[in-house]
Amino acid sequence: MSAKRSKKILDLITYTLLILGAITMITPFLWMIATSFKLPADQYTHTLIPTNPTLQNFRELFKVDINFPRLFLNSTLISIMVVVGQLLTCAMAAFCFAVVKFKGRNLLFALLMVTMMFPAQVTLIPNFIIFKWLKLVGTSVPLWLPAFMGGAFGTFLLRQYFLSVPKELIDAARMDGASLFQIFWKIYMPLGKPALSALAIFVFKDAWNDLLHPLVYMPSVPNTTLTVGLAFFNQQLTFGGKFTVLMAGALISILPLVLVFFIAQKQFIEGISLSGIRH
Amino acid sequence: MKRTLIMVLLVLVLAFTACTAPAAPVQAPEQASTEKVKLTFSAWGAPEELAVWKEIVNDFQAKYPNITVNVEVGDWDAYWDKIKTQLAANTAPDIFAMDAPLYLDYQTRGVLLNLQPFVDANPDMMKDIYPQTLEAYKTADGYYGLPRDFNTIVLFYNKDMFDKAKVAYPTVDWTWDDLREAAKKLTLDTNGDGKIDQYGYTFDQWDMEPGWSEALWSYGGEIVNAERTKTLIGEPQAREAWQMLYDMVFKDKSCPDANQVAELGGDPFTAGRAAMNAMGHWAVPGYVGAGFQFDAAPMPKGPAGHATSVNSAGFVVAKTTKYPKESFEFIKYVLSPDAQGKLAKLGFAVPVLKSVAESDTFLKQEGSTLIQQVFLDSLEFAHMKPVFRGYDEWAAAVGDGLAPVWNGEAELNATLDEVVKAADAVLAKVK
Amino acid sequence: MESGLKPLGKEKLWLWLMLTPTLIGLVFGIVGSILATLGLSFTHWDLLTPPRWAGLENYKVLFTDPKLIKALVNTITFSLLYVPAVVVASLAVAMLMNRKIKGLSIFRTIYFLPAVTSAVATAIVWNMIYGQDHGLLNWVLGRIGIAGVSWLSTKNVLSALIIVNVWGAIGEGMIIFLAGLTTIPKDYYEAATLDGANRRKQFWKITLPLITPSIFFQTLMSTINAFQAYDYIYMLTRRGQGDSTFPVMVYSIYRNAWTFFNYGGASAQAIELSLFVVALMAFYFWLEKRYVFYD
Repeated sequence: MSAKRSKKILDLITYTLLILGAITMITPFLWMIATSFKLPADQYTHTLIPTNPTLQNFRELFKVDINFPRLFLNSTLISIMVVVGQLLTCAMAAFCFAVVKFKGRNLLFALLMVTMMFPAQVTLIPNFIIFKWLKLVGTSVPLWLPAFMGGAFGTFLLRQYFLSVPKELIDAARMDGASLFQIFWKIYMPLGKPALSALAIFVFKDAWNDLLHPLVYMPSVPNTTLTVGLAFFNQQLTFGGKFTVLMAGALISILPLVLVFFIAQKQFIEGISLSGIRH
Repeated sequence: MKRTLIMVLLVLVLAFTACTAPAAPVQAPEQASTEKVKLTFSAWGAPEELAVWKEIVNDFQAKYPNITVNVEVGDWDAYWDKIKTQLAANTAPDIFAMDAPLYLDYQTRGVLLNLQPFVDANPDMMKDIYPQTLEAYKTADGYYGLPRDFNTIVLFYNKDMFDKAKVAYPTVDWTWDDLREAAKKLTLDTNGDGKIDQYGYTFDQWDMEPGWSEALWSYGGEIVNAERTKTLIGEPQAREAWQMLYDMVFKDKSCPDANQVAELGGDPFTAGRAAMNAMGHWAVPGYVGAGFQFDAAPMPKGPAGHATSVNSAGFVVAKTTKYPKESFEFIKYVLSPDAQGKLAKLGFAVPVLKSVAESDTFLKQEGSTLIQQVFLDSLEFAHMKPVFRGYDEWAAAVGDGLAPVWNGEAELNATLDEVVKAADAVLAKVK
Repeated sequence: MESGLKPLGKEKLWLWLMLTPTLIGLVFGIVGSILATLGLSFTHWDLLTPPRWAGLENYKVLFTDPKLIKALVNTITFSLLYVPAVVVASLAVAMLMNRKIKGLSIFRTIYFLPAVTSAVATAIVWNMIYGQDHGLLNWVLGRIGIAGVSWLSTKNVLSALIIVNVWGAIGEGMIIFLAGLTTIPKDYYEAATLDGANRRKQFWKITLPLITPSIFFQTLMSTINAFQAYDYIYMLTRRGQGDSTFPVMVYSIYRNAWTFFNYGGASAQAIELSLFVVALMAFYFWLEKRYVFYD
């Protein structure tokens, strides 16, 4: 078989698989989107295009006096702070763990990994008591301050990536007289763009979707986040058979994440082409 | 090493903060009324309730200009997580909402303020409150909480479905057999695809209140004994009631089983898939929004007569509050006819003040054709939803234990034996 | 992995500066999470009254209470099935996308969408999909002639949960692997083709070895996620007030701590959970030394 023909067949297989998979991935969302435009009476129908499309579900969301725009803003600001904090501190730590030789490196890294084990439900109370002692309950500080103190997931992710950067670059940079920090900032950070943008996406998503922490630290609407505001509706809507309104709310809360993904995705593409040129 | 020392210190501080018993501030009964007081009031509820609470708070603040009240409303699950966290860290709100069955879990742990001195100082306030609603909050040394509104369980029915199937509406004389007959006629496959789309009757298969306590009581059964040492849901009369419910689900198939209920979103009646439902007043706003014609009748009679469940939502004051007097003033205000009237209009519950409940404010609500009187009449034969320490864990032993039965995966009587044992173990543990 | 950068003189200061935020976090993490949880696991604490000493009681119960054992078994079973499924699936998807095909960013977005949404909202949709009588999945199956099943009954619930969780995690795995695949220089493949190696050989000899760092990472993270899985499972298996037809560890921990006033017991369970994960992590790191190739 000629190379061209085998490539064409491979392409065909690739496309078919990808499309089949894509249908599976996206069907729940299509249904979610469709349901948010359906009348409550139609909420169980299997059609993807509502027979009686309506905007009333969205209107009902905004009818309630919980100041959605303000919640949206709070969620956005907090999530951005968290991303900035994590990208900075995890990158610095990951660089040290991956590249720099120092005593106790492995022990420290192992300790860091262990902190990842504990589910939030259990660490909540001890952390809450600490923040209460610092008189920070009721503010947004407990939601983003920990982000500036490193993180096991981010450090681990970036360390993996940094480990695969060829060491020759360091030697070359050293010969050019670069300092430790310069090697970090001028070589590893730019090279780390794909991993950094991946981390940014994950961190933003977790911060945006977090319910437990804003619930205890910022319990009063409207001085709280979008997730807490939406949880308000949760019971009424799940058990009141008003999926349509719940779907509308879910749709609104997803949009920023999709946006962030689109933006971060571009960095990805750059990262991929950059590494192609590098070699 | 220095770092170890710091860590040890921090742990000690944590333990110390957690262990410090909250100092009960003993305030003088009279306080200078010019002092600025800030109260926090926390409750669970729907978004519509937040709006009404804010109205009530505004009226209260107009009456007491030196007091400001911050209202926090959240959904049920989130509310309890929050309250427990706040109590653990001594940052509890001054006044917060309480569900009667859970009341003793908090009261016996010493985190609530004893309201008896204030109650004694306000005898008139208590006169107009339905005594059945006060039962749950009485303890040996007085009231640590007061009811805010109550619910009795009634039989809701979908008038449209009854009309279509030409079945007569439920009446006060109905027995469980009458209900079974009607349910069978109302269970239909409306679109001919071989699957049932409409069920005759539905009830909560986990929580006793909108589910099975009424059936058990109407057959002469009981839930727990008065000393709270024995679980009685496995006694002979109770078992007859269980068998009746079980047969409706698995023999008549007029009632959805647990999987089918979940598939319909957890609430088949609101979703328009069931013709009858045992439920309390809190579901009414949801039913109104669902768009079908509905009404309510008393729960049907069993061999031992009529029985239903009464439960209340109340409020309590945290022991650590800085303003016990003002907190009680707020409670007193919410128990006044004005505030009770506002809450009644929301439609989530029945006011505890007789004068308001028996007035047009409650009985003739705007936009509702519901026979509200049913809820008041049901008080005559209502049993109190059991209140005891460890309620949540006990209810879980029962609810979880019976779940396989309602899934169709376990046999009723054998499971009841196991469940009673497990439930008794919980009762023994929490004593 | 032993070559690296040696900090010279004043650079030692930079090293510790860069590590300081993480070190502070470690102290809070260790104290706030580990020590406090460990300490509390030896007490009976109901959150409202001061803790009482419990010795090893909470740990003894872990071996005798059937509910707690069930939660552990469920969690382990779930993880055993979930981890391989999600690693293989996301690697496959990443490889399919690592080629020049049209509409790549659209595909990427579609595959990533599930990872981006809150489990609470999408789980409700899945409840509707999995419904026995009126669910979408059975409807689709019916149209192609396969009889529908009760997906959320105890017989099939595990498969249903694996599908949903993998669906929700493929996006993240795909990104990790894509990032990893980009580090493999294209010239390797070109050279191999010139040498006459076919695609399958190239996969086993070039791609797989060089992507082991990502496989390692993804396997480890998926394991941690599997043991801490909660959102989807809870939303799909909840029955009424807090009950679940497939209880897992985190669910059990949450219920103990927040519903049953048993914070001490919940802490002991959390320690049990962590010990399992730590053991697995140690195993993975041992595997890393032998099988993972960094440049």
